[in-house]
Amino acid sequence: MIVITFQRNKCIGCNYCVENAPNNWVMSSIDGKASLLESKEKKGFYTLKTYDDAIYIENKSAQDNCPAKLITVKKI
Amino acid sequence: MRKDNKIELMAPAGNFDSLQAALDNGADSIYFGVEQLNMRARASVNFTMDDLVEIVERCKAKEVRSYLTLNTIIFDHDLKLIKLLIDNAKSAGITAVIAMDQSVIMYAKEVGMEVHISTQLNITNIETVKFYSHFADTMVMARELSLRQVKAIVDGIKKEDVRGPSGNLIEVEIFGHGALCMAVSGKCYLSLHAQNSSANRGACKQECRRAYEVKDLETGNILKIDNEYIMSPKDLSVINFLDELIDTGAMVLKIEGRGRAPEYVATVIKTYRKAIDSYYEGNYTQEKVGEWMDDLRTVYNRDFWGGYLYGKELGEWSDTSGSQATQKKTYIAKGRHYYPKPQIAEFLMEAHDMKVGDKLLITGPTTGAQEFELKSMMVNDAVAQEAKRGDLVTFPLDFKIRPSDSLYKIEKTEFAK
Repeated sequence: MIVITFQRNKCIGCNYCVENAPNNWVMSSIDGKASLLESKEKKGFYTLKTYDDAIYIENKSAQDNCPAKLITVKKI
Repeated sequence: MRKDNKIELMAPAGNFDSLQAALDNGADSIYFGVEQLNMRARASVNFTMDDLVEIVERCKAKEVRSYLTLNTIIFDHDLKLIKLLIDNAKSAGITAVIAMDQSVIMYAKEVGMEVHISTQLNITNIETVKFYSHFADTMVMARELSLRQVKAIVDGIKKEDVRGPSGNLIEVEIFGHGALCMAVSGKCYLSLHAQNSSANRGACKQECRRAYEVKDLETGNILKIDNEYIMSPKDLSVINFLDELIDTGAMVLKIEGRGRAPEYVATVIKTYRKAIDSYYEGNYTQEKVGEWMDDLRTVYNRDFWGGYLYGKELGEWSDTSGSQATQKKTYIAKGRHYYPKPQIAEFLMEAHDMKVGDKLLITGPTTGAQEFELKSMMVNDAVAQEAKRGDLVTFPLDFKIRPSDSLYKIEKTEFAK
């Protein structure tokens, strides 16, 4: 299973996650921050759990490229 | 708009602590960022949109102008937020927004919000001033201009009668003190190239402040250079030629440092306030400059130079990675209670120790930054000379403290004379 977590409140809206993993990320036009699609929010942290292993590489590069280091991607 | 004809002293406010420190020490105006669309999006804890009202309230109480920085590059997905921020700033009573992107300038103009042109737009000549005069009354000049060039632009504004939307002559603003960027007007791509972290979106990772070596890849020879910090400029300070700077006719002096601590803001603003007032009272002397310089050196600095304002001097580079401040602060205690009648402050010691005679600093969101010397104290209800971790300490203090306050000990560093 792939688990992606995102600490959204500190996002600076640079758009890198969308460039790296366009199937899982969009930029919100409401507040200019990134949104992790189909994720669940708990205390400001957004989590997406999926069995689709194919998204791992793209999202790992989103993690590496996030300038604010707000994304973690784990394979469990 | 301006009460007197003195140059306006503009202070950075990264949080409520620094805001209060600026207000208490004589700033004429303050600038700050909210949310992510400002040049310190990553470095400092920014205010949120909900703080706008309180910021305006605190500023108005002291008749201080407030400016909201919205000076990053703007993408399509930011447009809604930008409009919302400007609308909210306007209804909260913020004096003006500081903008770089044309979308921000245009929208602010549209809704009647005063605009200041950010240094990021790199204004270096009178024609560009005329161009932006359709939108803005105050413009920050590029930091690369010399005093002579600034004066020529100010003279040009008067001669050609260049006025902004308010109908007043355009006011020129200059960066006076604080960190200097190695790139022209902050347009730097080092962080972006090295760490995917765009300085132009407020996420500068200070790549330039590190030590580097220059290596010939063909031979493997490493070039001998006398300073490894080849990209890190010393900090700007104009205190020793403030008279010449004011004589250019510039009307606003901006102090850099939204990422700096409240005692930094307190010290720098207090010092520049004294210097500016001395100039207008006709007693600005080099002897005083020496004292002011010593005061400025007590807080964070990479050593000082006059920036590009003298034109001829090329860059001066820092020779250390961090600060060369002559003082440092160490956290020792947390605020507990203030007894207003006997004017006694109570703190709980959480780290290190303190003794009578120590120089102390209290910072907090309402308290700002206040320094004093400890004259006497009680430790766990008995008169004492020294307090240690875990002790409950009380001492006389002529201002109120709060549970949100932190107590620090101020000590000399290796850079002190």
